[in-house]
Amino acid sequence: MISVAHAQTSGRFTLKGVTVDTSGVPLPESTVMLLAPKDSTLVNFARTAKDGTFEFKNVKRMPYLIKITYVGYLPYQQEIKPKDDDVTDLGKIKMTFMDQVLYDVVIKAFRAPLSIRGDTIEYDPKAFKVQPGASVEDLIRRLPGLQVDQDGTIKAQGETVKRVTVDGKRFFGDDTKAATKNLPAEAISKVQVFNEKTEQSRITGVDDGKHEKTLNLQLKDSHKKGGFGKATLAAGTDKRLEGKVNYNRFNEKNQFSIIGLGNNTNQGGMSWDDYQDFKGSQSFNWGDDGDFGFGGGVRYISFGGDDEESLTIQAGRGAQNRGFNKNWAGGANYNFDTKKTKFNTSYYYNQTTQDLDATSRQTNFLTNSAFTKLDTNNRLNFNENHRGSLRYEKTIDSLNTLIVLSNMRIGSGTADYLSHQEFYRGVQDTTQLSNTSDQRNYSDFNSFALGNTAIFRHKFKKKGRNFAVSLAYNVNNSNGTINQRSTNRFVRTSQAEPDSILNINQENFTKSLRNQFKGSLLFIEPISKKFVLESFYNYSLKSDDVDRDVYDVREGGRTMNNNLSRYYNNRSTFNRVGTSLRYSHNGLNISAGAGAQQIHLDGKFAVDQNDPTRTRIDRKFFNFVPSVSLNFDLKRNRYLYGGYSVGVSEPNIRDLQPIVDNSNPLYIRVGNPNLVPTVNHSVNLGYNYFNPGSFVQMFFGAYYNYYDNQVIYSQFVDENLVTTTMATNISGGNNLSAYANYGFPIVKTKSNFNINASYNLGRNLTNINGELNETKSNGYNWGARLDYTPGDNFTIYTNANWNITDTKYSISSGQNQKIINSNYGAEMNFKMPKDIYFNSRFSYSSYVNDRFGFNQKMPILNVSVYKTMLKSKKGEIRLSAFDLFNKNRGISQSAYQNFVSQEQVRTLARYFMLSFTYNMRGVGHTVKRKGYGY
Amino acid sequence: MKKLLACFLLLGCLPVFAQTDGLAVTYERTFYWSRLYDKLTFLSEEERSRMKTSWGANDDGDKSKGQLFITNSQSKYVDLEPEVDGGYRWRQSEYMIFRDFDKGTKMELEEFSGKNYIIEDSLPAPKWKVMNKIKEISGYMCMMAVSEDTIKGQKITAWFANDLAYNGGPERYYGLPGLILEVDVNDGELILAAVKVEKKPVAENLVLSKKMKGKKLTNAEYEKLITTHIRDSIKSRRNPYWSFRY
Repeated sequence: MISVAHAQTSGRFTLKGVTVDTSGVPLPESTVMLLAPKDSTLVNFARTAKDGTFEFKNVKRMPYLIKITYVGYLPYQQEIKPKDDDVTDLGKIKMTFMDQVLYDVVIKAFRAPLSIRGDTIEYDPKAFKVQPGASVEDLIRRLPGLQVDQDGTIKAQGETVKRVTVDGKRFFGDDTKAATKNLPAEAISKVQVFNEKTEQSRITGVDDGKHEKTLNLQLKDSHKKGGFGKATLAAGTDKRLEGKVNYNRFNEKNQFSIIGLGNNTNQGGMSWDDYQDFKGSQSFNWGDDGDFGFGGGVRYISFGGDDEESLTIQAGRGAQNRGFNKNWAGGANYNFDTKKTKFNTSYYYNQTTQDLDATSRQTNFLTNSAFTKLDTNNRLNFNENHRGSLRYEKTIDSLNTLIVLSNMRIGSGTADYLSHQEFYRGVQDTTQLSNTSDQRNYSDFNSFALGNTAIFRHKFKKKGRNFAVSLAYNVNNSNGTINQRSTNRFVRTSQAEPDSILNINQENFTKSLRNQFKGSLLFIEPISKKFVLESFYNYSLKSDDVDRDVYDVREGGRTMNNNLSRYYNNRSTFNRVGTSLRYSHNGLNISAGAGAQQIHLDGKFAVDQNDPTRTRIDRKFFNFVPSVSLNFDLKRNRYLYGGYSVGVSEPNIRDLQPIVDNSNPLYIRVGNPNLVPTVNHSVNLGYNYFNPGSFVQMFFGAYYNYYDNQVIYSQFVDENLVTTTMATNISGGNNLSAYANYGFPIVKTKSNFNINASYNLGRNLTNINGELNETKSNGYNWGARLDYTPGDNFTIYTNANWNITDTKYSISSGQNQKIINSNYGAEMNFKMPKDIYFNSRFSYSSYVNDRFGFNQKMPILNVSVYKTMLKSKKGEIRLSAFDLFNKNRGISQSAYQNFVSQEQVRTLARYFMLSFTYNMRGVGHTVKRKGYGY
Repeated sequence: MKKLLACFLLLGCLPVFAQTDGLAVTYERTFYWSRLYDKLTFLSEEERSRMKTSWGANDDGDKSKGQLFITNSQSKYVDLEPEVDGGYRWRQSEYMIFRDFDKGTKMELEEFSGKNYIIEDSLPAPKWKVMNKIKEISGYMCMMAVSEDTIKGQKITAWFANDLAYNGGPERYYGLPGLILEVDVNDGELILAAVKVEKKPVAENLVLSKKMKGKKLTNAEYEKLITTHIRDSIKSRRNPYWSFRY
């Protein structure tokens, strides 16, 4: 605190003086500051009067540093000691005029060129211009008081510099020239010269009074080079192995990283953390979607797509709890980032081998009857993908931006499928066998996909007027062979001997090529301060060229199956134009708009390319698409949002072709050329509350979907339980969902409680043997979570979830299904002495459907003990036990359309594993804590 | 404290060229949010460096503008409405800083975690250290002064212009022998820089709105509120710095 001016004569005094220029003319309005000499703390200040006089009355009696400034003059500074008298008069203080050259050097520079602290002289390189690419030596030549000899020896105030350090650390031993010749001048934020004790006195701790001139180069933060990496190796029982290594090297503009991983522990590919370490600054790209539409003013990140189909690297897929998987992956990434240019390129390879054994049971309800299917199958799948990507973003100037991106995937794989199926009449799987089917399919495919997009954004001089254009060209080429063999036995009269046997042996060669050209325009025009008009246009031309040749393989050779072989070419042209008006003011954003779109399908198909008879499908679909959206900041941490939108999806070309596909003899598909697009009306409304002060959070919301002309598959099941499906349009299907969540700290920072509940209502329509079936499902879900985190050494997390689904089928009213799934979980972590940590996780899941006596319980306990080690805790050794009770398997059950099903899949169960991790950034964790928002 | 300020004023009034009209100064505020992750002690070094490599190069700083109206006796700082850019517009949080140098009092309106607070108390004297560095900002020669905010964990570097004999500055910063034209918090986490200095009468702009509503706090209560919030948030592994004016 600044000393308060009380009138105490003995401890106080008055300080006065006059500021004048070199010729004695008084300088009025100059600033006089009194600082504490020790640390320059500002104690008092004043401005001089017209005659240049100033006076500090009753200031504390102590030495001061007086500092005076006046425009155009060099700042004046002097240490003063009060005299014994009540008044100390400093008399005339002469200020020196600063000439233009000096002014430019001292003032115009971003910082003053040099400052002196104690015996350290500090230079700011910004004030001394050097050529781009110049070395530190070139810079030092320009610094006043420093000189560089012919041989590179540096002298400071005439003395030879004995040591050069970088950020206080020795650089290449005692060779002072190594640093100054090799480091770029632009990497340096400060050059400091000071006297350092000699090596000998530092070792002995005895100051011998000798000093050596030392030059320290302080690196700019942005030029600090860094590298980090992490390697984990693990081995366990049952030949379980895991390995992962990543390394990242970066400086201000460049980031380079590599990753490699392999495991047979169902660990999948990269986690989100691995992905972020791998892609660095390019982990999340904003606004890369060129398909402008409603809400074009908002930029978002889009992820997703199927793992195998996606062009970009998919991360965060988590552990695979189905079957036994072997995974290999590896890649390299390079980023270059400056304010104006961002460039990225990466390559990534991954492969998965999956061995899957499953058993499933499904009961299908028909009009007044039912049938049940038991399926035991084994799948052996192999998939591999090479992915490459390029992205270039250029900020041409403050008004124009260009983004060009290209992603590529080359994939291939095989799938071996072996299945034994039994079909029973009724809901029981013991009596009334109807037919059995033994199937063996083998497929081999490879594919190539390429996506290229260019987006150009332009801001007009008029604030808020924006324009964007995008062009895209995508190719998707795939080639596959499938060998399908099955033996189907139909039993009618006797349960022992089949009445008929159907053997199928087919080879199927499919080539497909898709080319797509797309373009979009977006124009944003502010009408007033609060209203904005957004207009867009989308165009897409998609061409599919598919050739499927199916052969029946018989003893005498193979013959083409003209029912199943197909060649088609389909061109789908899409045009959409729309506009919306948005009101945006003080946290309230409402927009309403409408669009019109047309889809034109122009397809030709034939048995194969050589067949001159082509059947044509020429359909045009026109739809209006309205859109409303609301986003409202209600103040006090409350947000309300909602919207209404209409989605139109064109019928699948396969469903449109009026052909019969009996490649699965028990499940025959028939096309329907009269299909129209599905129109999905969706409404949502939500409310969020989070109080960052009290940590209370609450959110609830609801959404509703209604389908017009939904494409469903009507089923006809014959007496042999062969299902024939045909795509049909039907209106009226809908679903409603509502959810709520409330969380609060029981004891702030120590214990949190959270409850949630949701409700789903679904109405699904299907035609079963000519009768409309309406499946109504009511789903109730609720859960609770309790965290106990008393300190840094002990944490407990518990949770419980219950899910009940009631399903009713209108065609079979006695067959209501109640599926109950529940889960209870607990996790405990604590720290023991000597950096040893303990983690245990227990989960108990139960799957019940009483109607079928289905009742599965699955207790899973995982335990691990780990210890951090090595310097800076860079190492960690860990012993883990997975599924101690040896109960793990994949279980799922569902009720949908006209069926109810249960499936069980074998997967990785109990194993023990020992692992070692080396992390250059330090393992540095305390007891495991679940993170919240950053 | 009041005596001291009165003393400042007394000395300040001595010069003949006393500025009675006042100034309207526009500041640009650039906030580099990605740098705050370094302050979250609950993150491991690995998590922090991951944030830095993923977001650092993409953080061009959140920009907004504010305006200071100042005379020799009073000052008022308010946020300016963002310019129309065609995009969504979010609600601006309440923020107003008023200082009466004559009376040695302050009145601050700030929204903290969704609630409005009015901090009405005497003006505490900031502890500045005046350094030897000088540079030019908007044509004015400025000297450097440094200070520290132990509550928010901020190392503050301010540049003040002796030519502009006002004791104020942007946001909460004040108390130097000249107008503060630039503030740099923690070597670039936050930069407040004057982009326009206009000499004009500002008496009308200094009038306080009568509608101001909020919970009344003293300086000590406000400090306690922020200290507790930062402590609890860090303990609960949450970023405390989003919910108040950094």
